[in-house]
Amino acid sequence: MKKHASLLKCVAITAALGVIPAHAETPPDTLVMARNIDAISTFDPAQIGEVVTDELILNICDSLVGIDPEDEAGVVPSIAKDWTVSEDGMKITFNLVEDAVFPSGNPVTAKDVAWSLQRVLTLGFGNAATMTEYGFSADTAEVDLVAVDDRTFEMNLSRPYPIALILQAIAANRVAAVLDSETLIGEAVEGDLGNKYLTTNSACVGPYALRQWNAGEVVVLEANDNYYGPAPAMKRIIIRHVAEAQAQRLLVEQGDIDVARDLGAEDLRDLNANPDIQVVSTPKHQIYYTAFNNGDPRFADDRVRLAFKYLMDYDALADTVMAFLGIPRASVVPLGALGALDKEEGQPFSLDLEKAKELLTEAGYGDGFSARLFIGTLPYTSAVAQHLQENAAKVGIELQIEQMANAQLFSAFRGREFDTVMLSWQTAVPHAHGMLSRHAVNPDNSLEASLTMFPSWRGAWFSEDFNKRVDEALFEKDEAKQIELYKQIQRDHMQKGPFAYQFQLLDTAALGKSVSIWKWNAFRVYYADIEKG
Amino acid sequence: MSAGDLANSTSSNRSASSMRWGSAAREFLRTVATVSVTILGLLALTFFIGRLLPLDPVLAILGDDASQEAYDRMVVKLGLDKPLWEQFIAYLWNSLHFDFGMSLTSGKPVTEDILRVFPATLELATVAMILGTGLGIPLGVLAAANRDTWIDQVVRVISLIGYSAPIFWLGLLGLVVFYAGLGWVGAPGRIDIVYQYDLETRTGLYLIDSLLAGRLDIFADVFGRIVLPASILAYGAMAYISRMTRSFMLEQLSQEYIIAAQAKGASRLSVVWGHAFPNIAVQLVTVVALSYAFLLEGAVLTETVFAWPGFGRYLTTALLRADMNAVLGCTLIVGFIFITLNLLSDVFYRVFDPRTR
Repeated sequence: MKKHASLLKCVAITAALGVIPAHAETPPDTLVMARNIDAISTFDPAQIGEVVTDELILNICDSLVGIDPEDEAGVVPSIAKDWTVSEDGMKITFNLVEDAVFPSGNPVTAKDVAWSLQRVLTLGFGNAATMTEYGFSADTAEVDLVAVDDRTFEMNLSRPYPIALILQAIAANRVAAVLDSETLIGEAVEGDLGNKYLTTNSACVGPYALRQWNAGEVVVLEANDNYYGPAPAMKRIIIRHVAEAQAQRLLVEQGDIDVARDLGAEDLRDLNANPDIQVVSTPKHQIYYTAFNNGDPRFADDRVRLAFKYLMDYDALADTVMAFLGIPRASVVPLGALGALDKEEGQPFSLDLEKAKELLTEAGYGDGFSARLFIGTLPYTSAVAQHLQENAAKVGIELQIEQMANAQLFSAFRGREFDTVMLSWQTAVPHAHGMLSRHAVNPDNSLEASLTMFPSWRGAWFSEDFNKRVDEALFEKDEAKQIELYKQIQRDHMQKGPFAYQFQLLDTAALGKSVSIWKWNAFRVYYADIEKG
Repeated sequence: MSAGDLANSTSSNRSASSMRWGSAAREFLRTVATVSVTILGLLALTFFIGRLLPLDPVLAILGDDASQEAYDRMVVKLGLDKPLWEQFIAYLWNSLHFDFGMSLTSGKPVTEDILRVFPATLELATVAMILGTGLGIPLGVLAAANRDTWIDQVVRVISLIGYSAPIFWLGLLGLVVFYAGLGWVGAPGRIDIVYQYDLETRTGLYLIDSLLAGRLDIFADVFGRIVLPASILAYGAMAYISRMTRSFMLEQLSQEYIIAAQAKGASRLSVVWGHAFPNIAVQLVTVVALSYAFLLEGAVLTETVFAWPGFGRYLTTALLRADMNAVLGCTLIVGFIFITLNLLSDVFYRVFDPRTR
């Protein structure tokens, strides 16, 4: 009876309040971020294949080395306190920190490092390509990735790759996230090396630990009190799932969140004019492009693909639908990467219908043709695709836009079942090779080869010349010469390459006035360095 | 009455009673058969649609960058290399045990996910239905009783707006006005992060859980957050219910028994609520049950705008991510909801309307 009276009183008070004031302040020791976290499906570093979880895992699991927060082209010590390279450049020896301990209480050892890297190759998820690209394989993993003793780990290379590139591409990547081998072996199910366990848990050491993940609802990270590095300023990072951009905008304006991460161009433009909000951007090493199926004789002609590059008003799009979201870029190598063409040279194209028509006529398609254009569900995709469609129609090309779920889009691209498709490609390496090794190289174009990790293969494009030149540039010891080789490859690739690259994407966030320090670069956000107040 | 008559009468009563029971048993069996066939059809439909969709569950697990060898291995692991009929039998067996497999998007069993997200939708839909029914029925009756007057026109316009205004737009407008502008309602989301871990969830319905815990502050926060999305959903339901109520009432008000009641001097109020309304109550049960089923299915757009971690969003995300286990599990649940509510409305019909027995 007493309980019922209390319930009634509760209802009465709420009703009497009439209005419910909005809670408009986040706790000072907690960063609350709104983001679309639908893409999260696992916390296994070997399996993660999208940007949201990549950002989280780099703050939960330390890799052998880290990307330098002050210079994204460099690396800094992490689990490895230092490293040496053999004279022949075929072996890197890493010396590990001594005081790193997993949440289980197990010390971090070289055995864990070797096991974690070998595990990526054994499991064979998409991330394994990060290592197989540099000659590692599941068959030779135990010989190439060796724990010499508890504190010394050796990486044996199959070719004298540039060491800086290996450090960036592998040692700083999530594939080198050091996992608690003892715990995961104990949690393994049917030989999955702990893959199922890591779907909803973490077993590694980093400034934060995963406390909770409710799919499509929230991710909560808590500061790791036993972290061997400096203690993070924020005790807790809460990432709330807010899929709708306008809702994110209202939340950050009202102070109910500290950071909004998925805003559209219109909202960002308005927020940029709000003195209480700071809009910050950083270029990602991710390129938005239109891919062509070179297996189709129409798109196999260099002139047809080139014509498409003159069908877009890049600057107009950059000022409107792509404002704060992308900058025009025709070179596949993003700005900021070693060997990238500069801004002007890396974007020589502009809207020129006459030029496009001329190229099409030369190729024998003066009367135009019709083709399908597949697009996904990114917010700006429709507008960009329609812009291309309108201009293409002016030169006689009828593009039929078909929008589909991203999963379906990737499936069509991977299976070579498309005419043209708009999507993006990202590299984890601030080096020209990161992009060129996938977009200018195709070792075997045959259908049976199924080299699906190469977008060039998916686009059925093959060039022995580019294969050779990219390899030659990779092993050029003189850096100035190497950069020049990369630049020349890009110039030629823009004219004859498989696809039309259009924008280098930006990562843009709206920060509430509560956030005083926000640290990020093209490859990660440094949660441990974020401060409020 | 002679002994023979008594015996005849008893025997005839027994026979009538046994006929009634026999008829009820036949009816029950017929219903069970119908439901079983419907469920089997639903299972077959979801399974084959799932296989026909151009989505690749293997890529959803492995990632776009996986090698062909890894891809082929996963096909075998998932059993996708087996003949379709074999896959269907396994699917049937597992579904009958409420085992829908693991969700690719959450890494947890689909059943566990559904149990987690469904209360959010149930709570939202129930509040919306209470509001929608509470307003829709009186408005419909009012419109019918004042046919072609300004009251009728106003109700019709309100209903028309409820029908035609995009719920997505209404949601955003509601947020701009009542959350950002007036500060009358809470932010999008089901509960404030401050309370997220304070609340012990017993039922999964936060309004009830906060009351059970005696936490007025949490109740106020949850109420402040649910009131706007529920009102917006309720608006659509109210529009439908009021239009249907009006239509049913107009039919009843034109019947001869109404004219007779009026001729006998019954008051307007008594004619409308005492004579006409009870005769449409049974029909309204079906209308309300169907509206409720549609809301339980998940108001995807409302849940998206209000960052509501409900069933509709879960299903949509699963579909976009090619998470076929979750899609099939959710589709079956939606089917069960419709079947159950249809059965319940049938039962109501039989109980309250003697003509259907």
